Amino acid sequence: MNARIIPPELVAAFDEEIRRLHARVSGVIGCVLATTDGRRVSAVVGNEADPQRVAAMVGSIVALGETIGREVMIGRTQFVAVSAVGGMILLQRVPAKRDLLVVGTLARHNTNLGILLHETGIAAEAAGAVLDEWLGRNGPPS
Amino acid sequence: MSEELKLVFAGSMGAGKTTAIRAISEIAPITTEASNTDHTEFDKEETTVAMDYGEITLATGEKLRLYGTPGQARFGFMWPILAAGALGAIILIDNSRPDPLADLEVYLGAFRPLADAGAAVVGVGRMDRYPQPSLEAYAERLGELDIVVPVMPTDVRRRDDVLEVLEVLLQQIEATCGDGTIGEDTGADRGAPGVVL
Repeated sequence: MNARIIPPELVAAFDEEIRRLHARVSGVIGCVLATTDGRRVSAVVGNEADPQRVAAMVGSIVALGETIGREVMIGRTQFVAVSAVGGMILLQRVPAKRDLLVVGTLARHNTNLGILLHETGIAAEAAGAVLDEWLGRNGPPS
Repeated sequence: MSEELKLVFAGSMGAGKTTAIRAISEIAPITTEASNTDHTEFDKEETTVAMDYGEITLATGEKLRLYGTPGQARFGFMWPILAAGALGAIILIDNSRPDPLADLEVYLGAFRPLADAGAAVVGVGRMDRYPQPSLEAYAERLGELDIVVPVMPTDVRRRDDVLEVLEVLLQQIEATCGDGTIGEDTGADRGAPGVVL
């Protein structure tokens, strides 16, 4: 799939899922949907962070997380979390027929990690369903 | 304890950084490849998004740690992370790209401290099918940039080619170390401080 030619209806559906995630969780600062090779697809960011730069980093960090998971033989990586003094970011691959997308959620430090994980997972599954439905209608992406 | 030296492979997407490390690494390389969603940048299925890693041991017993960078500019944040502590850089340029000399400037600029110290080599790929720009054109552009590093044609699929580039880089590093001993100078003077235990 070439992110430059993601059809508008697909982008709109992804935008909706990202907006819902952003609205659902108290303490969320921003949400981003990125391709696994680090390109921004959809984002709602409430601070000065550059969504495109964040998308690139999301791709790198998820790949590193999965790589170290394989290296130490602990099985498939479920999510990657970064905890900092001022907040946390949770990264989760979108479950779909093709591993093309990752969801990242940035939240304040007092956000409940379990809730954040649960809600990010729901958004990832929803984005995956959107992608799979589109792939089913349009065949393999170019 | 034998010394371990760090080298970085840099260059545009599709220039062959992952292939080069695969060609010479004596361990199964660590890769971080993801599906490529931008076939306008380069038409291949997967692309490196964080780093590659491989190792090779020299006849002297020194182990080289080989780090490959992701090529796209959006991953530029990874370049200084991977360059930290590196003694040298192999810059791979794909001569089939629209403006290889501009690529040269981008990647030498990103690793300028190493290039200024002469601890870099430029390997130009796909010259058999894309002979222009010529090696003379590369040398001319390097002169304009006031950088003195070797430029050589390189087929990263050929282990011997990659080893030859590596050999030239090690000679360059030895020359810049001053006393002919790889690893004694950790690169602090060129802004890439390294630690050799």
